[in-house]
Parts: sequence; C-alpha cells; structure tokens
Amino acid sequence: MKNQLSAFMDGELSAEESAHLITSTKTGGELKNCWAYYHLIGDSLRGDVGLGGVNMQYDFSNRVMTALESEPTILASYIAAKTNFASQKTAYKTSTKLWSAVASVAAVMFVGIMVFQQQFNQLEALMPVEIAQSVPTEYLQAHQAAAPSSAAYYIQNASFAETKK
Amino acid sequence: MFSVIFRLLLTLTLSVISVQSIAAEDAWLMLQKTAYAARELNYQGVFSYQNGKQVRSVQITHMNRDGQEMTRNLVLNAKLQAKQSREVFSQGNDILIVSPKNESNNTSTVVIEKRRGQNLFPAMLPTDLQVLKTSYTTRISATEMVAGRGTQVIELIANDNYRYSYKIWADAEFGLLLKMTLIDSNKKTLEQFEFTQLSMLNSRDVNWFQPKIDVKKNYVTDVSAPANHVDTNWIVAELPTGYMKVDHVVLNLPGKTSPVDQMIFSDGIASVSLFIEPISKSIHPKTGHMVIGSTNICANVIDGYQITVVGEVPAATVLQIAKAVTFNKQTALK
Repeated sequence: MKNQLSAFMDGELSAEESAHLITSTKTGGELKNCWAYYHLIGDSLRGDVGLGGVNMQYDFSNRVMTALESEPTILASYIAAKTNFASQKTAYKTSTKLWSAVASVAAVMFVGIMVFQQQFNQLEALMPVEIAQSVPTEYLQAHQAAAPSSAAYYIQNASFAETKK
Repeated sequence: MFSVIFRLLLTLTLSVISVQSIAAEDAWLMLQKTAYAARELNYQGVFSYQNGKQVRSVQITHMNRDGQEMTRNLVLNAKLQAKQSREVFSQGNDILIVSPKNESNNTSTVVIEKRRGQNLFPAMLPTDLQVLKTSYTTRISATEMVAGRGTQVIELIANDNYRYSYKIWADAEFGLLLKMTLIDSNKKTLEQFEFTQLSMLNSRDVNWFQPKIDVKKNYVTDVSAPANHVDTNWIVAELPTGYMKVDHVVLNLPGKTSPVDQMIFSDGIASVSLFIEPISKSIHPKTGHMVIGSTNICANVIDGYQITVVGEVPAATVLQIAKAVTFNKQTALK
C-alpha cells in the first residue's frame, strides 16, 4: 500500500487503483497516517508550517511573554507605593520624608500612567474598523467549504477574494 | 424547426391546463426528476460558471457506478501563472481537491484538500424538495435550447426577501439541470451556471478518475484539523423565516489564535454561515457590510465577540442573523 502511495504521487497508478487509494487514504488507518506523516515531514523540511499549530503556539507564547513582562511591573509599583506611604508615617528626618514623598508621588504617577496606558490600549483595540477594508477570506473559504449547496468553492480558489482587497 | 413545433405544442398544452395548482405540482415533480437526474445519470460536458465579474469554465465527468457517485471537475481557465488546473474529485460523500498553492511566487506546490460531501453542480437541488415548499413557489415557464438540447424552464420563486429566486433549465428528455441562474428581487442575475456542451456516457470505464500528477511538483495535504461538531450556548434569537440550523462546528482557522464557532443555516438550498470569534488584543474588531458577487458579508461586535455572517443570500438575511446572536449565560454556568 505504501508503494502504491508513492506510485500515486509519481502518477504511475491506474485509475482503478487511484480510486481505491483515494478512498483508503480517506477512510483512515495506517495509510492515512502514513500519508499525513510523509507530508508533514516534507512541510517541516521546507519550513512550511503556516497551516498547523506552530504559528499559534508562537503567537501564544509571545502573548504570554508580553503579559509576564508587563504584569510584575504594575504589581511592584503598587507595593512600592504602599511601602512608601507606610514609611512616610514613621520617618522623622525631613530629607527621608521628602524623598519618600517624591518617591510615592512618582510611584502613584507611574501606576496612574500604567493604568491610563492600559485603558488607552484597550480603547484602541476595541475601536471597530469597517469590514470593507479587509475581506475576511478565511471566513469566505470556510463558508464555501461547508455550505450545503456551494459550487463556488470548487471553482474559485481563495485568490478570488484576495484580488478584491 | 422541431423546437418551434414543440414550443407551440407546449404552449397549447399549458393553456389547456386551467387549474394552477396542477401546474405547480407538475413543476415540483419536474424539479424532483432534475434533482435525481444529476446524481443518477452518466455524463460528460463543459459548463461555465459566472459570479460577479468572475467567469470559470469547468469540465465535468459524472458517473454513477452501482449507486456510487464519482465526479471529476477540472477548471479549464485557472490563473495562467499557476500552470496547474484545479481538479475536484468526489466519490460518494468524500471530496478531494487538488489545486496549486495560493501563493503567486510558489507555483511548484500542489495542495490536496479533503472535504465532506456537498451538492455540486448540476446536483444543486436537494433530493428532498419538501423543505423548499415553505420558502419558495414554482412556476413552469418557457422552453429553451441549452447546449443544443431542449429544456423546460422552471422558476423557483422566493416567497420573501430573505432569499434569492432561481431559474432552472431542465433537460426535456433526461431532466438533467442544464442551466441555473440566481436572481435577486430586482430580477438581476447574480450567478449563472450553464452547460455549453454535454453528452451522455455509455461506458463504465473510470480511467478519467485520477489526478494529473506532475512529478516535478511537491504534493502536500491540507493538515487542518477536522471540524468538531458541537452544540454550544450561542443562540440566534430570531432566524429569518424558513432558515434552520443545519450544523455547528468549531474550527481552527489559519491565522486565528482562538477556535472559531461556525453555525450553518439553510432554507434547503440557500445557506448562511455565522462565525463567532473572541476578540483578542491582536485583532481589530470589524463592523459593517460588504458584497462580493452573490455573497453578502456582515460583521458585528457582541459582548466582546466578533460576529461575521457570510452567505449567498440578500443583505437583509445576513444583517438579521448578525444582530440576533446572543450567548445563553444560563446554560453556560452549568
């Protein structure tokens, strides 16, 4: 069967055999895995991993890293603000008092800026854009692939939508 | 000459039938024959498909071998730069698409995709027509020639503005659908299929059922994970009349960080997809409406989710669905 698979890929298979092979690869089992495996290796070798989960994982870890980078900063400055306020009450030396006041003001301001920035970012992220600015090609394709009566999918490929951009 | 006589005879016959309901019943019977003809007959031909400014010419070979349907669609006028025609094979409910990869600078890769069964041209009509009777009425119209064959024109008229109407040219002898148009409420043609050449196959030979393999090219399979059939808490409060939910899947689409819900609604022939995606910081939410050929697309934002509705239906239908989406919080807490 594996030999047949490579024969199919080389175009050396008769129609009857191809039909059988197409069915077999679709019905699953060892051959299907084999087929997917061959191609996955090929894809990885070419660095062509756009279709699978690798991009998603990359995006996800990226987001986690960004979150980790930003979060402790906020927490630390809150703690800094609290301790500074506490030390303000117990400190008698003017210079210390002054310094802690400056520090706490700075800390409060810093937190304020962070919060403001976050809110601003959220506002910016939520500002909706007109759909006409970019065709949701992936949705168009998914619809055409699943619609009970759709001839369009087989006739137009995604470039149909892409050219309209 | 014969067609003129035939047309005269048919006009006479129709004028004799005074009861409208009998004519309507006849039209449904003709459509029934058309629905089966596309699936049961063996034929080969070339049809053109037009949608908006797009025109495609497709060679089709269809065979029913002991109840097993086999079809090959070869797109004849694909992009020249691709140097590889798009081929679609179907066997029973399995569909295999062999097409050049969608990158203009990479023409050496051919992608093999697998899909589930669908009603491909000319099998556009469902075999169970009962469901269409609530949303459409039929009318027997003129007789015309298509691809050198006599046809009977049957109109499938939308009962409201939530769907388009269809005009169907059925082969006078075999009932096969030879031409079909999608018409909006202003009688404008949005989409058209038409056989330009057709012949019936007598052999049982299946040598045509194999892809054209080019040894110099890389063949890759589409590795996208199979869709998960689910039933989540998203509900569409008020569906446009005649539409029913036919499926609900969760997809992992390329370029999306989170899975996307897809619900499919159909009135038996027209269909609409509803996509629901959580809005993350990396994406700009979209709103508004756009048209591509016969497809209407509407986007909306509800409760931090991006709602996108896509369908070969009038704008009113996608708009209503996009506005009526809600998340059922009661059952979600269970």
